[in-house]
Amino acid sequence: MKKHPMLKYLKEEGPLGQRMPLILCPGCGSGQILNYTLHAVDRVMNKDKIRKENFLFISGVGCSARLTSHYLNFDSAWTIHGRTLAIATGSLLANPAFKIIVFTGDGDTGSIGGNHFIHACRRNIDVTILCINNGVYGMTGGQVAPTTSVGTITTTTPYGNIEEAFDLCKLAEIAGASYVARWTTAHPHQVIKSITKGLRKKGTAFIEILSQCPVHNKLSPVTMLKKLKENTIQISKEKESGEGKSLIGEFCDLDKHEWNESYQKLIDQFDHEEGKS
Amino acid sequence: MNKLWIDERYCKGCLICVDVCPTKSIKPSKEINDWGYILPTEDDMNSCKACGLCELMCPDFAIAIEEVDE
Amino acid sequence: MSKEMKANNTKKRLHNVHLLKPGEYYLQGSQACIEGAIMAGCRVYGGYPITPASEIMEYASRRLPQVGGRFIQMEDEIASASLLIGASWGGAKALTATSSPGFSLMQEAISIAIMSETPMVIIDVQRPGPGQGYITASQEDVMQARWGHHGEGSIIALAPSSVQEMFDMTIEAFNLSEQWRTPVLVMAEEPVAHMRERLLIPPWNEIEIIDRKKPQDLGIMPENYLPWGHDIVAPMANWGEGYSVNFVGLVHLEDGNITKYGPQMHYDCVERLFRKIEGNVNEIARIETKFLEGCKNLVICYGCVARTAIEAVIEARKEGGLDVGYLRLITLWPFPQEKLRDIVGNVNTIFVPEMNLGMMKHPITEALRDRFKKIVSIPSLGVLHSPEYILSKIYEEIR
Repeated sequence: MKKHPMLKYLKEEGPLGQRMPLILCPGCGSGQILNYTLHAVDRVMNKDKIRKENFLFISGVGCSARLTSHYLNFDSAWTIHGRTLAIATGSLLANPAFKIIVFTGDGDTGSIGGNHFIHACRRNIDVTILCINNGVYGMTGGQVAPTTSVGTITTTTPYGNIEEAFDLCKLAEIAGASYVARWTTAHPHQVIKSITKGLRKKGTAFIEILSQCPVHNKLSPVTMLKKLKENTIQISKEKESGEGKSLIGEFCDLDKHEWNESYQKLIDQFDHEEGKS
Repeated sequence: MNKLWIDERYCKGCLICVDVCPTKSIKPSKEINDWGYILPTEDDMNSCKACGLCELMCPDFAIAIEEVDE
Repeated sequence: MSKEMKANNTKKRLHNVHLLKPGEYYLQGSQACIEGAIMAGCRVYGGYPITPASEIMEYASRRLPQVGGRFIQMEDEIASASLLIGASWGGAKALTATSSPGFSLMQEAISIAIMSETPMVIIDVQRPGPGQGYITASQEDVMQARWGHHGEGSIIALAPSSVQEMFDMTIEAFNLSEQWRTPVLVMAEEPVAHMRERLLIPPWNEIEIIDRKKPQDLGIMPENYLPWGHDIVAPMANWGEGYSVNFVGLVHLEDGNITKYGPQMHYDCVERLFRKIEGNVNEIARIETKFLEGCKNLVICYGCVARTAIEAVIEARKEGGLDVGYLRLITLWPFPQEKLRDIVGNVNTIFVPEMNLGMMKHPITEALRDRFKKIVSIPSLGVLHSPEYILSKIYEEIR
């Protein structure tokens, strides 16, 4: 039997038993995003000769976070809601050589984790943030999220959402991230390219990936993937027919000083050789 | 003719692979796995070009394409 | 581990010329605890300003790059505590300092640190509450230290009473956190953080430093490694060492599997965390006693209140002719119930001076329930008891 090429990066079993299949619902976009991420990591590992132990996956809480719960054959962390970026900052302070990928969701980035998100981008720490935006709080049963569009009916907006949705990419860009992009799960090659770019970028790479939640939207995964393609438009084509559609593409791609690079200059001004004062 | 491998333990019958295949080489089967999900199966594999899109878009790592040179 | 990863690991303390050399110094408590931390090998600090703990952070911001460490001012206390988790699993010893309102914010991170058995140290320079309270002396967090985090499990909390102890006990805190794979709290108070006193730094080879047990050193290969198994205190593989270790905060099996849930698995996972600390209380907890032999009354105290309480006890014995003993809790948690019962005989009155309305009085009452006739709280809110004040309360009761 031939196995999926990315299974080598997952722990199908641990010393105390079976871990797969993934706990996600059928057709969940998060599973696809894990697939794309592993393709990108595979590319960076092989082309840039980066060793497996340098990679670190961190997530918070929610459907997006289950990806790192116990499936990855890498160092990983399934942590507290919203605090992933603070934990990632801590890991980088302990060891700046880590290549960190953070899986977050709408709530983890835009709600409870909002403050840490803003400051991580401002500091431009060396992480690749993958925000899995499905427009709802999936894990807890379908409540409204900061990224839910106006009018949507959810379990906490039974009469329709009255609040505007967050544009997380704009927030990341203004806060100071080096690389900001938005794609959907229906654009696999673009997502893989962006994640690869993000991993290679020194600084904060924020990649928002619009994803499908078939269960809370009560639509089939295939239908939702079609809708994601139909309701998004590339930045370059916005003027043609962009009415009511979400912009996808790369919003910014800058070379800026990264936090650890700047801090290393502070450390280097002191002599650390034994025998010298 | 290329061969399609479906991992019954992991497939959740979302049928995204059936939809994205550009050569319509995959179809839903009449079988269900132990979880109760409809498994995909080979349709017309003569047209399969091993583009790998099914592998790429599977959320559950449950599908693999084996290229067979003839 | 790759060369690049090794090169970035925190440097060993003995190869650093910027540590304080052995000798006498005149330092503030806030500075002494940082010197102790870097002596213990701490190379990561993340914090947020709060009175009366800001001086600790300010001093850390200066000292850490000097010793090759990294300092960051985070956006809030929640981020600071979360940072410690990432730093610790990344292989570093990490520290933060805060005061009572910030300590409340850190409880969720402390809780997941207990579940994931993460070594880290938090210094709480207590201030009165509730709410903004005030910015002076207090011991009102001693219960929050033990019970503030949600869920079961236990924790270690130390109570320094001098600048020397701010140095020594911060080192002890790091050693305990590494030895028992647990967060450790240093429950300081505003007077001990702000006072300036003589600090004696011994020769470096006399300072014991403990590092976490590692599976590599025990010959455990990655495929056989159980991140929360092998022993009551599991060896800890860090990220970046090739062990592909998955950090989790949910109840888990010893290998980190979180899917195979059941009541027995849940009990085994959580009860072990409790037993790891509480079952080893006799090894972990320390107390200090004076004039205990055959004493008829007893003063039990902790933290900087001990500095004035001992003066009151000495005066009561000398001038008042009273047979009063003195017992200081150096470790507040795990509470040394057995040790207390072993050394305290029958007494008439126990006095518990605290800068709160009577908190440690409760575990003391439970521990010595059949050994005393009366227990008297001597509370003081917002200000350190003077020796005269404690003495007056003792005289009021037993003279």
